[in-house]
Amino acid sequence: MLALQILVNGLLLGGLYVLIAQSLNLIFGVMGVVNLAHGAFIVVAGLFTYWFASSTGINPLAALPFVFIVMALVGAGLQPLLVEPLMKMGRSKAELLSLMVTFGLDYVLVELALQVWGSSFVSVPYLQSSWKFAGLDFSQALVVSGVFAALVSALLYWWLNRTDSGKSLLAASQSETGAICCGIDVKRVRMLAFALGVALAAAAGVLVIIVEALAPQTADDLTLLAFVIIALGGLGSYVGVAVAALLLGVAQSVTGYFVGGNAEYVLPYVLLILVMVALPGRFRRA
Amino acid sequence: MRIHKYPRLALFAGLLALPCAAFLPAPAAEAAPPIVIGGTISETGPLAVDADYQIKGVKLAVADANAAGGWLGRKLELKLYDDKSSAGVADRLYERLITDDKVDLLIGPYSSGVTTGIAPLINKYQMATMEPGASDPSIYRAGNRWNIQGTASSLQYLDQLLPAAKDRGAKTVALLGLESAFTLACYHAREAQAKELGMKIVYQTTYSLPQPDFSSIALAVKNAKPDVVIACTYYPDAVGITRSLHQQGFAPKFLGETVGPVEAPFTKAVGPLANRLVTNTGWWSNFKTPDNQGFIERYKAMFHQDPDYHAATGYAAIQVLGAAVKATNSLDQAKIRDWLLSHTAETIQGTFKVNENGLSLGYVQDLLQIQDGVLKLVYPAANAEATLQFPYTGS
Amino acid sequence: MIAAAVLLAVFVAIPLRSRGYLLQLGTDTLSAVTLAYGWNLIGGFAGYFSFGQVSFYGLGAYATALLVLRAHMPWYFAALVSGLVGAAAALLLGRIMLRLRGILFALGMLGLARILEVIFNNWHYAGASVGLSLPAVLTPVAVYVGMGLLALISFCITAYFVYSGFGLDVMSLNEDEDAALSVGVPTTRVKVIAFILSGALPAVAGGLTAWNHSYIDPTSAFDPGVDLLTVVYVMFGGIGTLWGPLIGAVVLMIVGEEFLVYFPNLELALYGIVVIATVLAFPGGLVGLANRFGWLMRPIILAPKGLPAGAPPERAPAHGTQPVLEVRDLTVRFGGLTAVDRVSLSVARGETVCIIGANGAGKTTFFNAITGVVQPTSGEILYFGQPISHLPTFRRAQRGMARSFQIPRLMPSFTVWENVLLASRHGRQSHRVVEHTAWVLHTMGFAGMWRDPVSRLTPGFQRQLEFARVLALSPELVMLDEVMAGMTREEQEQVRGVIRRLPEFGIAGVACVEHVIAAVADLCDRMVVLDFGRKIAEGPSAEVLKDPVVVRAYLGEPI
Repeated sequence: MLALQILVNGLLLGGLYVLIAQSLNLIFGVMGVVNLAHGAFIVVAGLFTYWFASSTGINPLAALPFVFIVMALVGAGLQPLLVEPLMKMGRSKAELLSLMVTFGLDYVLVELALQVWGSSFVSVPYLQSSWKFAGLDFSQALVVSGVFAALVSALLYWWLNRTDSGKSLLAASQSETGAICCGIDVKRVRMLAFALGVALAAAAGVLVIIVEALAPQTADDLTLLAFVIIALGGLGSYVGVAVAALLLGVAQSVTGYFVGGNAEYVLPYVLLILVMVALPGRFRRA
Repeated sequence: MRIHKYPRLALFAGLLALPCAAFLPAPAAEAAPPIVIGGTISETGPLAVDADYQIKGVKLAVADANAAGGWLGRKLELKLYDDKSSAGVADRLYERLITDDKVDLLIGPYSSGVTTGIAPLINKYQMATMEPGASDPSIYRAGNRWNIQGTASSLQYLDQLLPAAKDRGAKTVALLGLESAFTLACYHAREAQAKELGMKIVYQTTYSLPQPDFSSIALAVKNAKPDVVIACTYYPDAVGITRSLHQQGFAPKFLGETVGPVEAPFTKAVGPLANRLVTNTGWWSNFKTPDNQGFIERYKAMFHQDPDYHAATGYAAIQVLGAAVKATNSLDQAKIRDWLLSHTAETIQGTFKVNENGLSLGYVQDLLQIQDGVLKLVYPAANAEATLQFPYTGS
Repeated sequence: MIAAAVLLAVFVAIPLRSRGYLLQLGTDTLSAVTLAYGWNLIGGFAGYFSFGQVSFYGLGAYATALLVLRAHMPWYFAALVSGLVGAAAALLLGRIMLRLRGILFALGMLGLARILEVIFNNWHYAGASVGLSLPAVLTPVAVYVGMGLLALISFCITAYFVYSGFGLDVMSLNEDEDAALSVGVPTTRVKVIAFILSGALPAVAGGLTAWNHSYIDPTSAFDPGVDLLTVVYVMFGGIGTLWGPLIGAVVLMIVGEEFLVYFPNLELALYGIVVIATVLAFPGGLVGLANRFGWLMRPIILAPKGLPAGAPPERAPAHGTQPVLEVRDLTVRFGGLTAVDRVSLSVARGETVCIIGANGAGKTTFFNAITGVVQPTSGEILYFGQPISHLPTFRRAQRGMARSFQIPRLMPSFTVWENVLLASRHGRQSHRVVEHTAWVLHTMGFAGMWRDPVSRLTPGFQRQLEFARVLALSPELVMLDEVMAGMTREEQEQVRGVIRRLPEFGIAGVACVEHVIAAVADLCDRMVVLDFGRKIAEGPSAEVLKDPVVVRAYLGEPI
């Protein structure tokens, strides 16, 4: 029973990780852009949701469609300004320079969030209990975020593999020249991917603020966590990231229970370095 | 009283003014120059909100002292810079206050982190400094005796909870501690206290932030079935632990958390889960300390908000400094330091008293309990607004 | 000179003016300059962006604190020893971390700093999370002078990178690491050395800072914010330049301290905007901006005033009688796919052998296995009778095995001179680099454009320059990978001319992979035909081209 509960806790935590990491993965996979402002988008959306729910008293999840649409527009606006100009420099240069640009963007967003909402940690008291099933406790907030993450992953998978616009996205991620030759408007596809990535990060923020307390200064922690997960899952692989996120959740849950909080905290980084050292071939990309 | 935002500019202007001043007639003898108290304050950055209360307390105390004629017949003046919530910036600015501005007295910054950064400097320059914002006891040690604690230390956090719980039949304890100096001091102090009281520690662990998930720790606590859970927390982990215990279906008879629950957003964040949760404070509006009610009224009149304990520590620090200056009748740093280390003073937050290293002994940390969304002082019984309710229900 | 005098004057004036705030600001600025220079060595010159150099800063701070407290060393000595600790840590970590490239390296370093923070948080000998306090003694001027010397040393190291051949090796990593390997640059050793220097400098800075602040704890020692600001300074000043880190750190420290106080709440946001604007509008930072006016340009490394006449290499005596290259039963498998299947090949002295085959026949993989880019699954490779399978790519290049790439892989931001010089440094004429480089440039017709950047060359000259780079190694075996692909007749004729002249340059054997058969048929003494990884024919060109198996598999019809 205990073992099952630890497993359930780990899987639910993994679900949250899928939610946090999958959108970053989308942007990286399609564009090779490393979005260091990822956590800032999550935090901004989360803090907005807090403000919305606490000032109107409306269910925080009601903010989701609004946040999603607004942040998609923000992403669509930022991409041609900040990221697209880097694309003509070649993938490896663009990868490093986008690191810098989004790093600057992160500073700006976090500072603006501090101005608007202050530096206090906030969280929304919603779905704080757990559902009991077969003698096990299922944290409500984590179940909802996990279901949402699964839904998003499934939709992404369906979109990328079954629809024309999604396929063109995937094509663009594999070979830009090839995609251009097939008549795909690669610029538009990249804008779409970035907008979607930002919107999904924001949607994650709406759920994260229900699960844990956030403040603007926590943005970088979220970015780092998301990166560790997508690196573990094999950059750009949607299924890999989902599996890595779930496994990491379970590994942390087990470590936290049997060893303690500090070990749980450091586990993702230790795993990351171990994986990098043990499987250098996987990470050695030209 | 103006915050000097432009330190270098002011210095430059001062340099320009210097040769001009030589030609001016000497000022009249009766206008003694003011006593300048220097300090930094986190006007910006993550610490700005709490630091703002503290500095308002300091400003009010200076205004009160000036209204009463100042110290040693001289008026007081504050010289404050913004440390941007950074120990590195504060370090430079205190150096500037001491060496360039040559202020008469210093007042410490907000937060244990920033104070830790400047403490060695204070020591190097041998300035007797009241530290209102640093509860971390590790700052006040033998090699560092120029820093005097102006608030209760975190060794005292929740120190009244274990005896109170024991009186009500509790026998077992689970201890959780955030990996940072001031929360670990609390963690180890409560560990020792539990042993002293003969209570059994059935589970203990420390953790680091950021930690998105406390379910494993909560599950381990649940399995140990403690009567009391004491968590030496900062804010986000206080929220996380409260929620996770509930989600794993466990409610100890007593749940105590240190920093976090006393802040207004906490109750908003966990809603009903906050009910009957116990926390601690160094100052409360019903303290029967001299002039406490006067302090509250004047604070409200001056700043149009209710004071909190940060404001009280800021106010009390100036009160203590004033007592030292008056008692020694001098601005000699060594004399002031020796007086502070060996005397007591009455302040709005209680009796100031420190040990030979400047660690606070006099101030208390009383217990607060959240009852139906409102913080109430519940311990010590003599001063209580309400009785300690138990068990904690988690709803 | 003037700049140096001004800097020295300011450096001396500060402690005379103030013993307090200004001096502290000066010390902190010098520390920022050192960190920026340190980061620039690995991030700027080698192109390995690290978001974890703060690990060395923290290790240095702790090493100094522990040496002062536990071993009672004087602080300046302890800070120096900390530099060695930083270097040792970089040596150990570099071997592991530098296997990663790009974002993964950046990320791995960031994770490393987190791990160190947790270790020090729990290490009681080092004070755990409470940290360590050092005896607080007033030595502000001594620390300031120490930090000044350190900044000067970091400047000198950077100057060495900018002016020396070793610096060229480091920069070639940022340009094209695989191409660098192919011209004999021992890339791993070069980047580990750069990483060691880039670890030692912040370690000493951390040690001096720990003494200066008399206190150290895990949170401030491994603060990721230190790295982020360092990156901002370098980017703003000019990444991979000599003056950039200095200018960036000094300007932003002073701007941050003096002017941003007018906008106290927007300081970090303004930094963010500075970074974005730098990357998008002027990618070279302030130094890049100055470059547009011809100021602060990077000098061409080891370039003489005018191109000297140069001299041909002395002919090395031929050693032994073995064939230049002998490959026995070479097999390369990628997972389930067998790209090269038991192929044997030999190149005798004075012989030109062509390997032909359709796309996907395994030609390039076969080449890659011979040069060491790909590990063969089985088989033997003998070079002048010596087995070389165990040698890394750069060693094979150093021994005289030179190759060209299908698409020329030059160092795009190097000059013509530097591209050739890089190879000369590691080839068999490395004892007379400048003469040899000059000779190669004359021979290959670059005398009129030897100072030009590569980006200004026509595609034909780029191909020609790659040949020049091959010759610069002074090789004995030349391996050409589809050099004719996509060329006009005229360009092909030019290349054919060069290939015919190869024996004059002391080259014992030539192996080429080719798709355009007509262009090479008359050049080669022997032809080998690959089909789906297997050798299906071998012999003199004329015979092979008539072989019905070859005709069917590849040519479709006889020529």
